Amino acid sequence: MPSFKRHLSRFFIRMGLAIFTFLALGPVIWAVVTSLLPLTALTSRPPDLDPLNMTLENYRLVLDSSRGLFSGLINSFIIATFTSTVGLIIGSMAAYALARLKMPGSSLLLMMILATQMFPGIVIAIPLFLVMSRMQLVDTHFALIVVYLSFTLPIVIWILKGFFESVPMELERAAAVDGATPLQTFQHIVLPISLPPLFATGVFVFIEAWNEFFFAIILTRIHVKTAPIAIAEFSGQYQTLYGQMLASAVLASIPVVLLAILFRRFVLEGFVEGAIKA
Amino acid sequence: MATLELIEITKKFGNVIAVESVDLKVEEGEFVTLLGPSGCGKSTILNMIAGLEDVTSGDIQINGKKVNALGPFERDVAMVFQNYALYPHMTVEENIGFSLRLRKCPKNEMQSKVQKVAAMLELEKLLHRLPRELSGGQQQRVAIGRAVIREPSIFLFDEPFSNLDAALRIKTRGEIKELHQRLGVTSVFVTHDQEEALSLSDRIAVLRAGRLEQYGSPEEIYMRPATKYVARFIGTPQMDFFTGEFINKDGLLYRIGEAEISIPAITKLPDTAFDVGVRAEFVSLGGKGFGANVRLVQPVGPFTYVTVDWQGGSVTARVNGVSHLKPKEQINVEIDPEGLLFFDRATDLRKDIL
Repeated sequence: MPSFKRHLSRFFIRMGLAIFTFLALGPVIWAVVTSLLPLTALTSRPPDLDPLNMTLENYRLVLDSSRGLFSGLINSFIIATFTSTVGLIIGSMAAYALARLKMPGSSLLLMMILATQMFPGIVIAIPLFLVMSRMQLVDTHFALIVVYLSFTLPIVIWILKGFFESVPMELERAAAVDGATPLQTFQHIVLPISLPPLFATGVFVFIEAWNEFFFAIILTRIHVKTAPIAIAEFSGQYQTLYGQMLASAVLASIPVVLLAILFRRFVLEGFVEGAIKA
Repeated sequence: MATLELIEITKKFGNVIAVESVDLKVEEGEFVTLLGPSGCGKSTILNMIAGLEDVTSGDIQINGKKVNALGPFERDVAMVFQNYALYPHMTVEENIGFSLRLRKCPKNEMQSKVQKVAAMLELEKLLHRLPRELSGGQQQRVAIGRAVIREPSIFLFDEPFSNLDAALRIKTRGEIKELHQRLGVTSVFVTHDQEEALSLSDRIAVLRAGRLEQYGSPEEIYMRPATKYVARFIGTPQMDFFTGEFINKDGLLYRIGEAEISIPAITKLPDTAFDVGVRAEFVSLGGKGFGANVRLVQPVGPFTYVTVDWQGGSVTARVNGVSHLKPKEQINVEIDPEGLLFFDRATDLRKDIL
């Protein structure tokens, strides 16, 4: 009887996981399939899913440099790289200070940092646009990097602060007793053990910046259109080029997926360590 | 090798006084334990000696030289931390050799030194493991190795056994004592475990709420505690105390409820009120003495602790081997007057009145 119960509960767990996986992966699979079909196959009712019709034509078309996807990917890459690098540098220093130094008002500061996360982006969209346009920063990489930093930094600070707090103070004291200067302690002890959470948050910020759409569409015009904008532009007033749009989406997803796979170990370790390390 | 002297050191955290004008002198090669319950300031004192915590006032001298302003490394002290504080991303070899690496020690010299220390602590086979792949006892030995390789003039130990299980704790205790005998380095050890303190130390400093209560050899602390607090803190089972009175009835007696203990050594009735303390080994059962009822029988292997009650009092006796006494049984209790300690009721200070 107990073994029957166990089998039953296992069955339900697996069912649940299967449904979740299907819900998560379904749209991705549909996007890949769609990107491989010509427009005519998609617009016919019902859609003609004959594998014999599959073609790489959509990919060839979107990779044509005049179509904007390629420059979108480069813009996205520049913006996401800068956002995650600068975010990590500033965020880790702020988090370390908040975790280690006893400063008056640090808890208030932390709450304020968290509070910035509570406003929906739309609230600041128009003021932000006005500020950026007065400063003549609209349609520059800098504008998007600053905006993305403003909403990823709080998350970076909170995640890394949690991690730094979990690092036993004694490690740094032991290093001091062993004769390490504060800089050597950071270089030989704190930095190496912080790599997993740093990578994890870095990847997280990169993906956030890479995928962002709302501020990108407000603050860009021609020169720094990011990949999500370039993808959206396949949807026109009279016609939506589904195949090309989804081919672009698939292409734009590749760097993010690669990043996640490459740093999978770090990402998992990093978040777990930040959360439960004793 | 070094002498260490604390002169009136005080430490305040905001308005909280953690350590209050503590004087302490540790002679060259001595093993001194700071003993007290948690929150008594013992770890704070150790951190101040190490240079990890500033003193609010007072001086710390090593070899007669004031070191208040020096960092931990310049004081030439090495420390073993409670949770070992091994660098998690470094192998055992790198952990032990870290201080040499910082000093740009040549690689082959470093290796031979690490080898030597590892051999001494039986870590040779573990040199390429990471700390998380070691047992608690092994991690402990790595932490000690990291301190030993420095060849410091003072060793500091901050409750290094508290994460070990009971059996390993006693074994490691022996190892530390042997290490001290072999190297003869001046050592300061912090613990809340009185048995650890008694078994390891040349001298014990008993602390109470940031103040030094008594500083003396283990025998002194055990046999002649300066205060009731020390008497209560040291010894298993805890010393029994009585609030009785002296009476003069064919010689001097101390009366505890209905029980009377004759104290032939005292001839004159003292003029202050005294409480009396006695340890279990000075209480015997089944002889002459006064009548009492057995309340509790606790065998601990080589001894059995038997707690008895009488009208107005209760005491625990240590009986050799196994006792076949049962609760509620009647038995005679005899207290050896030689083992009595007298504490001034008003001040809690022990007085020699025998």
